[in-house]
Amino acid sequence: MKTLQTNRRGFLAGATATLALIAAAPSLAAGKTLNILSHRVHQTSLGEGEADLMAAWKQANDADLAFTTFDSNPLMDRLFREASLPETEFGVGYLVDNRPTSEIAKLFEPLDYWMEKDAIADFDDIAPGLIKGMTIDGKLIGIPVRTATQALFCNLDLLEQAGFSAPPATLEELVAQAQKITDDKIATGMILASDLAVFPVMFARAFGGDFLTPDFKLLPDAAAMEQALTVLAGMFANGALPRSYATTKNDDQVTWMQQGRAAFTVLPFARAAQLNDPEQSKFSGRITAVGFPVAEALAGKTPMATVVEAWAMVIPTNAKDKELAWSYIKQVASPETTLGMALNGNGPARVSTFSDPKLVEKNPLAAIEAEALANGRGAFPPFPEAARAQALFLEEVQLAVLGRKSPAEAVEAIAARVAPLLP
Amino acid sequence: MRAETLLIRLGKAVAVAAILFWSLFPIVFIVTSSLKPGQDIFAVPPQWTFQPTLQHYVTLWTQWGVFFRGLWNSAVVTVGATLLAVIASTCAGYVFSRHAARWLELSIVGLIAVRLIPPIVVTLPLFPIVNRLGLSDTHLVLIILYATFFVSMGTVLMRTFIDQIPRDLDEAAAIDGASRLTILRRVIVPLAAPGILAVAVFVVVFAWNEFLFAFIFTGTNAKTAPLVISEMIGSIDGVDWGVLFAASTVQLAPVLAFVILMNRYLVAGLTAGATKG
Repeated sequence: MKTLQTNRRGFLAGATATLALIAAAPSLAAGKTLNILSHRVHQTSLGEGEADLMAAWKQANDADLAFTTFDSNPLMDRLFREASLPETEFGVGYLVDNRPTSEIAKLFEPLDYWMEKDAIADFDDIAPGLIKGMTIDGKLIGIPVRTATQALFCNLDLLEQAGFSAPPATLEELVAQAQKITDDKIATGMILASDLAVFPVMFARAFGGDFLTPDFKLLPDAAAMEQALTVLAGMFANGALPRSYATTKNDDQVTWMQQGRAAFTVLPFARAAQLNDPEQSKFSGRITAVGFPVAEALAGKTPMATVVEAWAMVIPTNAKDKELAWSYIKQVASPETTLGMALNGNGPARVSTFSDPKLVEKNPLAAIEAEALANGRGAFPPFPEAARAQALFLEEVQLAVLGRKSPAEAVEAIAARVAPLLP
Repeated sequence: MRAETLLIRLGKAVAVAAILFWSLFPIVFIVTSSLKPGQDIFAVPPQWTFQPTLQHYVTLWTQWGVFFRGLWNSAVVTVGATLLAVIASTCAGYVFSRHAARWLELSIVGLIAVRLIPPIVVTLPLFPIVNRLGLSDTHLVLIILYATFFVSMGTVLMRTFIDQIPRDLDEAAAIDGASRLTILRRVIVPLAAPGILAVAVFVVVFAWNEFLFAFIFTGTNAKTAPLVISEMIGSIDGVDWGVLFAASTVQLAPVLAFVILMNRYLVAGLTAGATKG
């Protein structure tokens, strides 16, 4: 049997070393610190070092910013848990617009008081639809800071190989182009993730329908949803959607487009940089974005209501230093910081930022994005049973797309199963 | 008969190959992908030959400094939790081995029962308590939680090891005037070293990779590497797979090396008491 020699001196040395290791953990700078709960993208869009957009604010307020970052869903989970405590160290949180129900809104400080006390510069420039999304029970609880507007991405090389000189202008053209690219064995026509409500909602809106309107009308135009599911089912049956559709995730959309395995997809405009990144993409500079097209019957009459996701800054009601938190929000929402963040790749919440010459020069898609954003709205409004409603909706959509149910039956089932969950 | 033996051998070889493939493929895939140019990682058909690049590691270093801070935090928590769990398990194992009483037998059932509780059941109610105690986002809270989670299994393992050490040695030391603590330190610990190392391996692997407790109880100061890696699989700005695989390789390397080094103790730990009696 092996033996291990120990003595008092060795034990004490080991214990001391461990305590020293723990004590030596990096500590934050002393003084005034604003703790922020966000996604990493919110932190990076503010820049760092010499390009730190908040440098002047930090100096003026003698304050430091400490970001705690998580991915979207874990972030929401943590934000709500922190805001439920008697007191939290976090002064500002970033909230996505499909979450604030009446109950959740109570966790956050109404900001109307702060707006009256020390208003954000040129507040009316922030897209009114985004402000509306953050106004719950008549109270403004968040200041919009980031938008992610869905776009139709196309691989121009694959389109050219199939004989198309321009991206589709109508939904019918999109389906036809995707089908020809598939039939000519150039690539799979289109790739869409099957676990997100965004895509069937976009197709339904292209026919003038919707899943759930902001005032909670379920399937306001059932025929339009049926048309949308018929189109998607047809694309799957004819190979224009991948055979792996049922297991396709958001990341697959990116890698398939980068590899040239699919010609079309739907992703936020901000993904243009990643899709064209020469280090990752085999079609760098050849993947462009356009607004998602409406059906021929609506072209020129009804604008496409693209799905837009927005983030807003909120102050938990149990935050310690609300004065400092509001000061931060005011600075981040200012026109100059909004522009700076937009130049760093952030989807702006201010309408005027899209037409700023600096942004237009850096981002050629800015004008198209602004146009899409003008008529955009969330995939569905927030309500307590939203997650279950989305799961049921997706289940029926998948059954229809995979051909296990007729589109008409699926639409009927969506109506029957989701209705009891609505507020 | 000979054909039958050949068939059995072939079956065994296929089974071993399948297990090896099953175990090693993900590791090989992660490591090779971390060295591939970004364009080739998900190329179809897969690129088996490629010009290796360290670009993803450079990007990891320059753009994800928080990952290396996470590694440091993981190391602090792992070392702390391992020491605490090993010390507590050894002391408890000694008591369970050398003393017999009904309440002791009952308490070991209690220890095992604690281990059976799904972690998520205890984490959420603990959140406000940890906050109230001011332990949120500290290394200490993770060290205590990880050690607590492993003390039960460690105790059972250590009892089995210490059971194999003849009591005569304790008695001889006692006759020479050694106290219980001296017997434990001078007699038991040196002889139970393989068991201690086996427990240490289990705790190290668990603490190094743990996600749930770290996610619930840390934020910035004590954020561990697995949390940073999970953040790289971002749903907003997309995944840079090369960097993600580079981070996974860096995260994997120390624990893999440690387990390989300690492999024989791990086997000894798992089979301790198997031939008793």
